[in-house]
Amino acid sequence: MNPVRHLPLGKNLRDRRFQALAAALVLALAAVFAGPLPLTRSGVAVLAVVDITGSMNVRDYTLDGKPASRLDVARAGLRRMVAELPCGSRLALALFTERRPFLLFTPIEVCADFAPLDGALAGIDWRMAWEGDSRITAGLHRAIQMAGELDTDLLFVTDGQETPPLPSTGLPPFDGKPGAVRGLIVGAGGHALSPIPKYNDRGREAGFYGETDVQQENRFGPPPDDAESREGYNPRNAPFGASAAKGTEHLSSVREPHLKALGAQTGLAYAHLDGPDGLAATLTAAATPRPLPGRIDPRPFLGGLALALALAAFLAGFRPARPLQPTRM
Amino acid sequence: MGAPLGSFGVATPWLLWLLPLALLPLLRSATRRTAISAVSAAPADPLSAALSAVLTGAGLLALTGLIVALAGPYRAGESVTRTGIGAQVSMLIDRSGSMNETFAGRQPSGEEESKAAASRRILGAFVGERAHDLFAVTAFSTAPMLVMPMTDRRDAVRAAISAIDRPGLDYTNVARGLGMALSQFGPAAPGVSRALLLVSDGAAVIDPRIQAQLRAEFAKVRPNLYWLFLRTKGSPSIHDKPAGEDTPQAAPERHLDLFFKSLAVPYRAFEAEGAEAVAGAVRQIEALERDPIPYTEIRPRRDLTGYAYAVAALGLLLLVLAKLAEADFLRQGARATGERAAPAGQAGAERRKAA
Repeated sequence: MNPVRHLPLGKNLRDRRFQALAAALVLALAAVFAGPLPLTRSGVAVLAVVDITGSMNVRDYTLDGKPASRLDVARAGLRRMVAELPCGSRLALALFTERRPFLLFTPIEVCADFAPLDGALAGIDWRMAWEGDSRITAGLHRAIQMAGELDTDLLFVTDGQETPPLPSTGLPPFDGKPGAVRGLIVGAGGHALSPIPKYNDRGREAGFYGETDVQQENRFGPPPDDAESREGYNPRNAPFGASAAKGTEHLSSVREPHLKALGAQTGLAYAHLDGPDGLAATLTAAATPRPLPGRIDPRPFLGGLALALALAAFLAGFRPARPLQPTRM
Repeated sequence: MGAPLGSFGVATPWLLWLLPLALLPLLRSATRRTAISAVSAAPADPLSAALSAVLTGAGLLALTGLIVALAGPYRAGESVTRTGIGAQVSMLIDRSGSMNETFAGRQPSGEEESKAAASRRILGAFVGERAHDLFAVTAFSTAPMLVMPMTDRRDAVRAAISAIDRPGLDYTNVARGLGMALSQFGPAAPGVSRALLLVSDGAAVIDPRIQAQLRAEFAKVRPNLYWLFLRTKGSPSIHDKPAGEDTPQAAPERHLDLFFKSLAVPYRAFEAEGAEAVAGAVRQIEALERDPIPYTEIRPRRDLTGYAYAVAALGLLLLVLAKLAEADFLRQGARATGERAAPAGQAGAERRKAA
């Protein structure tokens, strides 16, 4: 006699709890053999250019309750951004002063090479600057070209203060194609004017810049339209007027209108640096999403479902028992 | 990361709070229940009791396995300190404008390679070959620039080296660059060989005040110093005495060499007048820097999730088989022969529990 013949197999197969346990078994077995599934995520590849000119030393931010310079906040913001970017994103770093960006390294991956990347960002210092000028428009145009060569987007952190000031003719023309390189101009600095610290040749702070220490007006090129009404104007001998230029170029605030105009000229987005947080999200929104090979582990889904089914099979045992009924086989 | 139990741990420890749920099979079985009037109507059956225990165990195993698997068990990775052959190498690279010229002092055209491009190629290969070295990269022109702190990440070092043939800056201010390159070594580690590799195509006068500081720093760090001097054709050699006055201003290369010789650290200068000579010099440096260096190797942690799922699957398999072999309490069941003892006895055990 075969005992199996006497089993109510049909009824057993129709039993909900059998079905739940069998499904849980299939899911658990699938979890044993399942490998990670390929998945495409989006990351960024970006060239970060940091302005390290004198005006970036202005302390108009607060970091951990202490006054912090624009460069401190930019540095902290970049370090947090690198920690928050999805793995597989790549970052190259360049410094800006004078009129050009200086590339420190080509793009490196933000997770595997996090330690040296973080160390390099922490090492950014205004003392690395090789010249005092701050021709931001020229620097931005060249940074866009550099990002194009590296096939990355651009993140340009600056306060927008041109030294010497732009001539009256306005922005120099942009040779490239606007929007060919995407990215973000980040305006660092407060909206109110603050004094710029001055350093001596040993790198020690020595007061602040005064009105006569800096160039207040760009007197290269043609004079501005209102020159004729200036005191002592002479077309040949004093085309800019006879008196020294006065202004607030020795004080600094973030030059948002200038930076927005630069953004419009070159097709870059603009964002203000409010603090060290949130740079990653702003950049991801403005940058080209780059597909990154990612992997997803399906096992938690399979295992979670299997657990729910197995628990349900046991919990069903709390239902009151049916009275004994003869059943037909 | 969960608190490791010995070298074991779980990735998401809070999921282990679900473990009391795994005790559910002790309270209720997954098999059908039938109410009968008297449990004593069934005779005591050791086989049924054993089967009941096995099925309870299978239920415990299945639920525990699933919960533990969801929490992500692993055996922790360990970092092992080993000894290899290598050194801490701090590279100090000249990024002055003249590095972008060829060894003949011209702008590179066609197949010609600039001094920067040659050093990029050769230093990149150098970094790739050395398995256990730590590298730091410092650039200098007018000011020193920290490019990459001391690291064992080869990709990062290569990225820093691949940037050195970009257009350079103005001047060669070697003194401050040396200061920063020395600071890259960090606190002294016993038994670690240190090498400072200066790659430049010129030299500059070192301010006597800074000379004293540098001397003190060199005495503290005690690196092996290598100067790879990329000499442009026709320019003075390290060893040439100037025709007129022998001052640092007249022959900065010679006087930088003399300064290095006076430092009382192991020092070698390589004068290279072409890419092959540079490659030869780098090969020599590589052969010289063959000291033991302790390095850490990280063994990856081992994922045990698959095993936990396998255990759960075993428990579930037993339960599924039991469900398939389930029989109802019937008159035929009571008359079952010895051959049918298994399913019938199991059903009997369940009935006793249910009652």
